Amino acid sequence: MLLSPDEWQIVRLSLRVSGVAVALTLPIAFGLAYLLARGKFPGKILIDALVHLPLVLPPVVTGWLLLIGFGLRGPIGSRLHDWFGLTLIFRWTGAALAAGIMALPLMVRAMRLSIEAVDRRLEGAARTLGASGWRVFWTITVPLALPGVLAGVVLGFARSIGEFGATITFVSNIPGETETLPIAIYAALQVPGSNAIVTRLALISVVLSLGALVISEMLSRRAGAGRGGHVL
Amino acid sequence: MRLAARFFSVLLAVFATLWLATAATAKPPLVLAAASLQESLNAAADAWAAKHHERPVLSFASSSALAKQIDAGAPADLFISADEPWMDDVQKNGFLAPGTRISFLGNTLVLVAPAASKGMVAIRAGFPLAQALGDGKLSMADPVSVPAGKYGKASLTALGVWPSVKDKVVRGDSVRAALAFVERGEAPYGIVYATDALSSKAVRIVGVFPSSSHPPITYPIARLAASTSQEAEGFRLFLISAQGRAIFRHYGFLPHRPQAL
Repeated sequence: MLLSPDEWQIVRLSLRVSGVAVALTLPIAFGLAYLLARGKFPGKILIDALVHLPLVLPPVVTGWLLLIGFGLRGPIGSRLHDWFGLTLIFRWTGAALAAGIMALPLMVRAMRLSIEAVDRRLEGAARTLGASGWRVFWTITVPLALPGVLAGVVLGFARSIGEFGATITFVSNIPGETETLPIAIYAALQVPGSNAIVTRLALISVVLSLGALVISEMLSRRAGAGRGGHVL
Repeated sequence: MRLAARFFSVLLAVFATLWLATAATAKPPLVLAAASLQESLNAAADAWAAKHHERPVLSFASSSALAKQIDAGAPADLFISADEPWMDDVQKNGFLAPGTRISFLGNTLVLVAPAASKGMVAIRAGFPLAQALGDGKLSMADPVSVPAGKYGKASLTALGVWPSVKDKVVRGDSVRAALAFVERGEAPYGIVYATDALSSKAVRIVGVFPSSSHPPITYPIARLAASTSQEAEGFRLFLISAQGRAIFRHYGFLPHRPQAL
């Protein structure tokens, strides 16, 4: 329709990078959210701070840390390459890693709020009726926390779609491989007479981000009905 | 409540002090310059400051990004582009002070590899760059917009090599971004200016692109129509003077005998 094949490729790549990033981050984010919501252990405040670090760190620093850690010469990147044949730098998988790390704090925040909002007396009641800890978790805790989890997923997805600084620092700009929406917009901005392309891509960005925010906000309203559980 | 009021009054006092401090000093010229000029222009600014002038404020980015900022009305004083088309663009939009545009520097395009690598690459028509790269990437500035990338693409196209390597190209948003990937050893080869290669100990030059294979690399400088700094014109004249050009020659540039355009 309105988009050229090249532009579709950019949109598809962005959706794939963000989708994979969020899918892989989800279990980690939920685990951390559960730990932070329920756990009492020394060093919790440190874990909390580390989880939130990508939120406040300049994205270019995150990208640089990824570059020196996960590049082919990096301590982690070289082992991934030698042991599993996995290359992240200059690949869409690297873009997904960057996006996932940037999305993690937002996902954990949303999920943590909803886990904290779960009425623990319901879990206690299930226990007294003979349910195992595992069963209580899956039939009480997870369903009650689900709207917040979904809100976190949508929010993380929106953050991933917009990820720029860490991505361009780590995986640069390769059309069809790492050229996601924001990177394509940035590159197009540098070309004279590219206003039409920039406008179309920017419009897609706005629609995707706005849609994700609205969905996330609706979900978190439902999740935190009694506690005003806004995640923003 | 009282604590908050005190906090805000302190904050206000801090801002007021900062504002007064910045307002008290005269405004030094703001120079927007191509990323490849980073070390040389800083040295030139130091030399200028040593002559008891206010040290200019230097802002480096790709010429394309800077031209876009000027076209959007960036309140700067001087612009140094790494190619003529971006200066043309700014001139066409009426942002240059008439009669101040001069092409005063030249540069060479080279192929670089990480310092630890071995061997040279003979750059000629049809040279086997794709084979040399193997699974690796060719790091260069964006060939669509950034001057260093445009020259690189022109060279590789003229040599008949572009079609075989274009899918291996990593497009940096400036020539320095392209250099950085080779410095870290993440890309086995990169195309940068000779001056970039000389500025880095982590890369070495493995081949030089013949100057006939790309349009001449020239750096035009001009004062912007929006310039308000008293010192801007003095600094521009210093840069194109014999003393100024000697500084750039020290960093590997090929200073032109200035010709007004």
